[in-house]
This record gives sequence, C-alpha cells and structure tokens, in this order.
Amino acid sequence: MSEEAGIDFKNMTPASFEEQLPDLFASAEGKLSNDPRLAEFFASNPDCAALVRDFETIAETAKSLFEPTHEPSDSVWSSIASKLKTESQDPAVDLSE
Amino acid sequence: MELQGPLMNQTKPNPGLFKRNPPIAGEAEAIERAKNGDPDAFSKLYALHKRRVYTLCLRMLGNVSEAEDMTQEAFLHLFRKLGSFRGESAFSTWLHRLTVNLVLMHLRKKGLNLVSLEETINPAEEDAPKRDFGSRDPQLAGSVDRVTLERAVSSLPPGYRMVFLLHDVEGFEHNEIATMLECSTGNSKSQLHKARLKLRELLRQPEQLAAVTAIATEVMQ
Repeated sequence: MSEEAGIDFKNMTPASFEEQLPDLFASAEGKLSNDPRLAEFFASNPDCAALVRDFETIAETAKSLFEPTHEPSDSVWSSIASKLKTESQDPAVDLSE
Repeated sequence: MELQGPLMNQTKPNPGLFKRNPPIAGEAEAIERAKNGDPDAFSKLYALHKRRVYTLCLRMLGNVSEAEDMTQEAFLHLFRKLGSFRGESAFSTWLHRLTVNLVLMHLRKKGLNLVSLEETINPAEEDAPKRDFGSRDPQLAGSVDRVTLERAVSSLPPGYRMVFLLHDVEGFEHNEIATMLECSTGNSKSQLHKARLKLRELLRQPEQLAAVTAIATEVMQ
C-alpha cells in the first residue's frame, strides 16, 4: 500500500498538503506537478502548485551538482602514495588512525 | 578507522546510482590490477575518482583542509578494502558510500549531531525555513543555475545540507540515508523537505543568499 493511501485528495487543505508533501515527493513516480490526483487541488491552490514546481526545479538542478567541480591539491596524492608505500613495506603498520 | 556493519554492506544495487555512475574506460582493469597491489593502478583509480570524492567531501564538510584529509582517508580505506569489492554495484557508488560513511564518522567524532529529531521539530529560528503557504511570494523563474544553487546549498544548516546532498545530489534513497545518518526514514524525508524550503527561500532572495554565502565562504577559508 502506498504511503499516501490515506490522503483525501478531494478535500485537502494547503496545511494538510504541506504535511503530506515529504511523503508525496518520496513516493512520486515522475513529476508530482503532473500528478492527475492533484490537478484540481493545484488549480485552486496556485501557491502550492508553485511550491511543487520550485522543488522540482531545485531537485533537477541538484542533479547537475553530481558532476565534480573541485580538485584536491597535489599534496593529497603525495601523502596517500607515501602511506601506501610505508604500508606495503611493513604490513603490520596500522595506518587507519 | 574501521567501517563496520551496515556501513560497508553492499546493499541492493540502486538502479539510479548505476545510471548516474556508468563504468569508466579502463576502470575495471585498474581495479583488478590494484587488487594485486599494482601501485600504478592505485594511481589510476585515484586520478579517475579524486575530483568526485573531494567535491563530495568538500560539500559535506564545507572546509578545504578537512575535505582533503577525508579524501586521503577515503582513498587509503579504499585501497585497503579493495579486495572486498565484488562488483555488485558500480565502483563509484561503492566508493561514494564508503566516503560518505567516513565523513559521517568524522563528523560524529567531532560531536556534530547530524539529524536530530529535535532540530527537525524545532529548528533554530534563524535556520528554519519560513512557512509561507498562502503568501504571494514570487516563485523561482523556472530555472536555477548550478553555481547559485551550489552557493545556496553551502549555506544550509548541516543537517539540512547533509540530507539534501545525499538525496538530491548523490541519489541515495531515504532508507539508505536513514541507515547512514542513524535516523528514521520519516526524519530523512522531513529534513529534505525543510532543506528544499530553505533553498527556495534563499534562491528567491538573492540579497539574503549573498549575505549567507559571504559568511559561509569565510568559514571555509
């Protein structure tokens, strides 16, 4: 049973919509703004519709942050290589701390 | 530092993460050679993944020095545990989960409560998103540029930022986040909702975003 099974989509208020929104987003298949069960509610509550569209815009843009934008300094690899060398020469050395 | 229990488990592969982490040319061969102790293969794996691991650490920690330390820790851990990688998930997914868990352990050692129920119910007033249903505030123009969003994310309170990064950027599911953060799934959803509300608030008010990111930049340096 879906988590939003108990929602009364016909008589929903903006307050109850906000309460359900985290679950609605989590269980949405596709865009929540296109969910036909919410079409009537969005038509009479444009601020709620705008909120959902904005959340979708934020989530969509967030995907582009997956691509890395920063690079560590060269000293990071130097340090890793040095520790790996020490470890390979003496496996008893615990470098984990 | 030893990762145990669910932290290192290879859970059911997440198709979303496979989709976002397609195999990289030369990676599989480098993994096999690295498993046999080939130092050049270690170097290759580092070169392939250093930017993504470091960017993840930097976003989670908000501090260059700590991010470099954790990047180093993540790769040392990776090289030691590489033998246990069985290819059931994408290598970068495995590496990201390992990195996230190391950073979370680091933050817990520092005493940072990542997602407290109390914070969710009663966040600090200045950090909490404003509840503005029914208001006529302008909505986002329909698009947000990546740089602006990155700045806004960096200014989020730690609990909100962590869940937003893990869910909306890294693509983890709420149940995975709940396991990593040791909170309930409902709490993860709630934190994400509040993070998005706060981001929306910041993105609609460029002057507020400029002010908070100036403070965040000072902290990072």
